Amino acid sequence: MSNPIELRGFMGLFKVFKERNWSNPYILTIEKIVTGDELLIMLEIEKEQVEIIFVNGKAFLPSDARIQSGDRVALVPPGTPGPYRVLLGFVKKE
Amino acid sequence: MFYRINMADLSVKKEEGALYQGLGGRALSSRIIDTEVTATAHAFSEGNKLVFVTGLLSGTGAPNAGRMSLGAKSPLTGTIKESNVGGTMGHKLGRLGIRGIIVEGLPQAEKAYILRVSSDGLFVEEMPELKGLDIYDTVEKLQSKFGMKIAIGCIGTAGENRMASACVGFTDMEGAPTRQAGRGGLGAVMGSKGIKAIIADDSGTKMVSFVDEAAFRAGSKKLANALLTHPVTSQALPAYGTDVLVNILNEAGGLPTRNFSSGRFEGANNIGGESLAATINERGGKTGHGCSPGCIIRCSQIYKDKQGEVVTGGFEYESCWSLGAHLGIDNLDDIALMNRLCDDYGVDSIETGVAIGVAMEAGVAKFGDSQAAIQLLHEIGKGTPLGRILGTGAETTGKVFGVRRVPVVKGQAIPAYDPRAVKGVGVTYATTTMGADHTAGYSVTANILGVGGKVDPLKPEGQVELSRNLQIATAFIDSTGLCLFVAFAILDIAEGLEGIVEMCNARYGWDKSIGDYLEMGKQVLRDERTFNHSAGISDGADDLPDFFRKELLPPHNVVFDIPKEELETVFNF
Repeated sequence: MSNPIELRGFMGLFKVFKERNWSNPYILTIEKIVTGDELLIMLEIEKEQVEIIFVNGKAFLPSDARIQSGDRVALVPPGTPGPYRVLLGFVKKE
Repeated sequence: MFYRINMADLSVKKEEGALYQGLGGRALSSRIIDTEVTATAHAFSEGNKLVFVTGLLSGTGAPNAGRMSLGAKSPLTGTIKESNVGGTMGHKLGRLGIRGIIVEGLPQAEKAYILRVSSDGLFVEEMPELKGLDIYDTVEKLQSKFGMKIAIGCIGTAGENRMASACVGFTDMEGAPTRQAGRGGLGAVMGSKGIKAIIADDSGTKMVSFVDEAAFRAGSKKLANALLTHPVTSQALPAYGTDVLVNILNEAGGLPTRNFSSGRFEGANNIGGESLAATINERGGKTGHGCSPGCIIRCSQIYKDKQGEVVTGGFEYESCWSLGAHLGIDNLDDIALMNRLCDDYGVDSIETGVAIGVAMEAGVAKFGDSQAAIQLLHEIGKGTPLGRILGTGAETTGKVFGVRRVPVVKGQAIPAYDPRAVKGVGVTYATTTMGADHTAGYSVTANILGVGGKVDPLKPEGQVELSRNLQIATAFIDSTGLCLFVAFAILDIAEGLEGIVEMCNARYGWDKSIGDYLEMGKQVLRDERTFNHSAGISDGADDLPDFFRKELLPPHNVVFDIPKEELETVFNF
């Protein structure tokens, strides 16, 4: 049996989790490796609501994220102060 | 217009400041200190000077232009120091046409003086009834005598006792002293000059004039549009404050926990911006609070206790960290009380929290014991021997208690971002002229400077170049009187930076390019490094404590691995 993922939501998603009566972290089982985009569809969370997905402490664009069972995942909406978007690796363009 | 005050004979002179034309904020304060203070002088000697200066845009209606700079030789670091603060003072001094107030000499007797500034001039007045008061009581007495419309900057007992972590507390829009010129112990320098408070009344002043008012308004609109449309300045900061960073840094594995022994804190969510905002809103406090005239970001808050009484305001990420995760404490009410005590006794909440964490490492109290931490803060307020040790900062606390893991650079405590997991900040901590200071590399214009924004926070590549450009751009923003948080938006919206350039040009009739203003930033760093070298603090001091290079930081199990030789290239420009 696969290990569930541990999912956190920050900023506005913190409230969304509450409204859906999800714990934060929310424990979720996924059957196969999914991209961040696919995870958002599964969760019924709009793409625009998420700038970055942390997977095991590393920042990825949703399209680049690969999530598998046992991962620690966090959804970060737009709104992280500018310097940290660069310093934490959110900015991916050369 | 400049005022020069000699505390030895209480004389006041008005000057034009011919030497300092075209400078504002940090560029001005650092030029004055570098020019007029003997670098080897003791910070509390007659040779040190304390300056209060306005920025290039102070007193205008520019968005978020309410900041001002204090400068002196720091008793904490021995380096030059610029301490930047919000509240209402910068705007009022700007409207009064004041570019700088230079305080020199030492008083002949231990008395409590105030500097009172209005359109009638600057007056040095004795107010013995203020002696021995903490900051909130000092503010109350001054407001009852001079009215609620004045701006106040004052010191508490920590400043009077010349503790090296003493701050200067400034009043916000509601008249509460929730804004601090916090870092580097400039409150102690103020105490050594016998000055308990500076107050400003801008009644009767006219609008600040512009060489080209239409161009100023156009530039102002560009910056305002950037701030009002970017998600960080229009949504995240008003809703959650800077404390929004707790969960993000924790997730990145860079939230220093229990004196930098881990990068993750199990209680992070309890002290993060989301929980902070929920608590404030539930109790009828205020999020989205602006601390200074013209602030449209409104990242400040008013925090109430369970009974609905105001405890503190301006509850920043760095304070929630230093008095929270760093001490293993996740109770927001206890952290809020500690923040209030720091503001009231008049000590820097970053330096003080880090010092208490170092003391906890030594076994003076247990990590997680918030009541013990509160008692240690009271020791500072009472000025007991233990309180004086803590109030002298983390480095001294570490030496007194024989602690090896002491997170300081050039004597100043490292703030809330572990440099092993956020290496770019580590480069700034190691090399900035100020001693460890996250705001020294805050302003990001990476794309505009033609520097790729892409770095991996856990890898060394590109971090030196990034830090160099951040430090240069920050030194410029710090010179304008703008809140550094405007940088949060102008990374993505180039029009915002154009607006800043256009406003500065229109105010003074200049025709400078962004390159010219960045050259101003470079010159600030050159001035500051010249002073530090003369004070005996050379490039050898530009490094992190060795434990960062040796101890693995969980959860990523990384060390700070940017070679010293690379750090030495930061100022190659």
